[in-house]
Amino acid sequence: MTIAVVLLALLVCAWLLAVIEAWLTTGRLRPAAPLLAGLSHLGRESLLPRKPDRLFFETAPVLLLVVAVLGAAVLPLAPGLVIADLATGALFVNAALAYVLVALIMAGWGPNGAYAMVGGWRFLGQLIAYAMLVVMPITAVAMRAESLLTSTIVTSQAGLWNIVYQPLGFVLFFIAAMALAFRAPFDLPTAPGELAGGVDAEYTGVRLAVLRLARLLLVITLAAATTVFYLGGWHGPLLPPWAWSLIKTLAVAVSMLLAGHYLPRIREADLLGWCWKLGIPLALLNILIVGLMILVVP
Amino acid sequence: MSEAAMTLAGARKGRPSIVQRLVGRALARNLSCLIVPGPEVALAHGLDVAAAGMRIADTPRDAAVLLVIGELSQKLDEATAVLYAQMPRPRAILVLGGPSPPSLPHADVSAGLSQAELIDATGRLQRALAESAFAASPEDFDASVLQARTEYVCPMHPEVVEDEPGTCPKCGMDLVAREAGDSAPESGHDHEHEHQHHSHEHEQEQCHDHDNAGTGYTCPMHPEVVQDEPGSCPKCGMDLVAREDAEDERTGDEASGHSLDLEHHHDHAHQHGGSDGHSEHESSDHDHIGHDHGASGFMSMIEVTKDLPRSADGLAMDWIEVPFGPCFPGLPGGLKLTLTLDGDGVTEGQATSLVGITNEGEDVEESEEMNAQTFIEHLASTMPLAPVSYRLLACLAIERAAGVNDDPSTTQARNGALERERIASHLGWLAQMGRQLGFAWLTQQAATLQLQVREANRDRLAALEPALRVLDTRLGRTPLLKARLKGIGVLSTASSDLRGPVARAANEGGDAWARLWQRLAEITASLDLIKSNGEPELPSLRNIVEGSGTGEATVDTPRGEVRLSLKLERGQVTSFKLDTACSHHIGLVAKLVEGRELGDALVAVGSLDLSPWEVSS
Repeated sequence: MTIAVVLLALLVCAWLLAVIEAWLTTGRLRPAAPLLAGLSHLGRESLLPRKPDRLFFETAPVLLLVVAVLGAAVLPLAPGLVIADLATGALFVNAALAYVLVALIMAGWGPNGAYAMVGGWRFLGQLIAYAMLVVMPITAVAMRAESLLTSTIVTSQAGLWNIVYQPLGFVLFFIAAMALAFRAPFDLPTAPGELAGGVDAEYTGVRLAVLRLARLLLVITLAAATTVFYLGGWHGPLLPPWAWSLIKTLAVAVSMLLAGHYLPRIREADLLGWCWKLGIPLALLNILIVGLMILVVP
Repeated sequence: MSEAAMTLAGARKGRPSIVQRLVGRALARNLSCLIVPGPEVALAHGLDVAAAGMRIADTPRDAAVLLVIGELSQKLDEATAVLYAQMPRPRAILVLGGPSPPSLPHADVSAGLSQAELIDATGRLQRALAESAFAASPEDFDASVLQARTEYVCPMHPEVVEDEPGTCPKCGMDLVAREAGDSAPESGHDHEHEHQHHSHEHEQEQCHDHDNAGTGYTCPMHPEVVQDEPGSCPKCGMDLVAREDAEDERTGDEASGHSLDLEHHHDHAHQHGGSDGHSEHESSDHDHIGHDHGASGFMSMIEVTKDLPRSADGLAMDWIEVPFGPCFPGLPGGLKLTLTLDGDGVTEGQATSLVGITNEGEDVEESEEMNAQTFIEHLASTMPLAPVSYRLLACLAIERAAGVNDDPSTTQARNGALERERIASHLGWLAQMGRQLGFAWLTQQAATLQLQVREANRDRLAALEPALRVLDTRLGRTPLLKARLKGIGVLSTASSDLRGPVARAANEGGDAWARLWQRLAEITASLDLIKSNGEPELPSLRNIVEGSGTGEATVDTPRGEVRLSLKLERGQVTSFKLDTACSHHIGLVAKLVEGRELGDALVAVGSLDLSPWEVSS
């Protein structure tokens, strides 16, 4: 039951996000557009590129989909409404999402094409940039909650959301999440203007439909994680808890879209440089500040 | 319903059922198109593809409609056939303002070059797709260009088929060229199949791998060396390969093996043309080494890379030559950039045009002699990105040849039109840069403005001025933009080849960032010029000129000064010589991309604002 509800919530979010994305780019609000797009993908040929690594090529989109859902499995939608409330939940999110890299390398290698391959390896570089900025802010969040249980993390924010308590951590995590979801301006592995779609370039038909859905769900999962870690999860007045979770998740996801709309793609070298030279010292500073506040404020 | 059912050349095989009709409808309402030569050409013609209800796709894989604008050059026509073959069925062809390209199936819908006709044609296309996206026996697509392809095989290992010359990854021998599609007579292998259906090959080889366990490995040079395990030959150090006789036994199984694979058979027609075509988008098939090594098992990266050239960072990597273009989303359509990639660094690069001028500087053939008016129209229509500038150039040169004096008021009106085109052209470049940088807002904004500026009169331009100025302030405030452009594609004033905005930006730092601001400043300056001059007016020949003589004119086009000298005999243009800015700029590409990271190299090329039409091909 819980599983069905969470999956349904994920799909609804993905649908809403796709509608909003199309609205942003075309200026028209067409609620049926994502369904039509999905249906037309299913109706088109699913081509195999020449000399593919069949195993990698076929597995990558499915793996990405599984990873996104796995990440969402430990995030609570409302009190008790979580597929698995693991004692290591906060870490599990990070562990599950590490496989995004594996999926992208596979999608890059599988089709045996240069654009895809460069895209796949680019994401490896990207992981080196963002990985620490996912873990270190989560550390500070767990320090405040004194637990890795995602539901405890939400309840720890009952009085004051983490976005106010540790704004620095929020900013770093938000940026790292966007890089992890490889959304513009961090869409280096797909980069339409540089790699003509990169890791996406050779996928068509059903496989492309799975890949697109997986990418949407990945954004939703990361937005949900941001909600749980920084925006007080289900907390909010009047509306029921699940509604607050959905609203916040969607708001975070849309703000990720907007950032991509108004920014040019980042250079890979700059991403690495800034993440390591600026991001990691700031993340350490964030841990220090949070630690001091926990000691000083009772 | 009332119309006779139309047949689509690119229909997908299938029995028309309810589900398929539903899919056809969905497809028709969710059209994505690949524009040939490119979106910037559509914009320059005043076509708003998005407003007509189609999304612009970045790759042929993602496109359902091939939108061809104008007449294609022969080279571009061939490249387009490859792109079309890569599009998954159901697919359709829409041709605007030109004949149906000879290498493609006949256009499903054709129309003229105007927004109204585009909208109408899109509607017809949608109906056609909704009705007949699936057909019982769709046409095969089999253009000659897809077959006349050279591939390279190893004389010892027929299963090694590469798209580019090189050495065999298994034995290191030089590969031998042969025409693709030839069945290999060299060996007893039953491999005829694989040239047509390369996707099968991998499976076959996996199969080999499996079956070879325990059958023995031998050295290609020393047949007496036989081992049970893969490894290298004790005599010469070459990698051992699976024994050939062991392979022969299995060919029968394979054949039955993949006839069960329904998907393959379904894609049959396509594999042939599409994935098989040595394509612009995937000619990277030049392999990841070790990828199709079914037979030789694990290959150490150190061994694989030991003889490869080293790049600047000392890492040995597989260098691959990758074509970007001629219809690459980040570059102007018709331009083909060939980069040798070492990882994602560029070791060398070269740009060529597939649509360039063919008879630049030569005498016009007697049979092709044109009267002055035709010459003007011809020159203007061959330069889709700057038709007004070339029209003006031709008018001026002919008038001078005929000895007609300049008239101040005409000059003013003509300059107004030239400046208006400069604004539109620079906006088109901004939209193109937005596509390259993944900066959606800029692309949207600049494209919308370009469509409005194109044929605006003076009052309309004045009304658009605030929107144009907002572009300046917004771009100045956009984070990441400066980091992306600063220091990229630096050209110094010392280079004598620079013209136009590129030359003027050389004084301000000479990088992509400086060129952006130079073009933005020129937009403002042009607006001011139009304000103080008269109403822009399309240049036309003032009086029917019957004179003779030689004339020379120079016009500062949006991309730099272009010089035209021509000879006029009794109103006929007998010879002309064109010297364009882009033909100088394209030579700078090799130096700009060398040693840069891929993204930076593309930005450097993009910042030159090359028009492939203005380059000799």
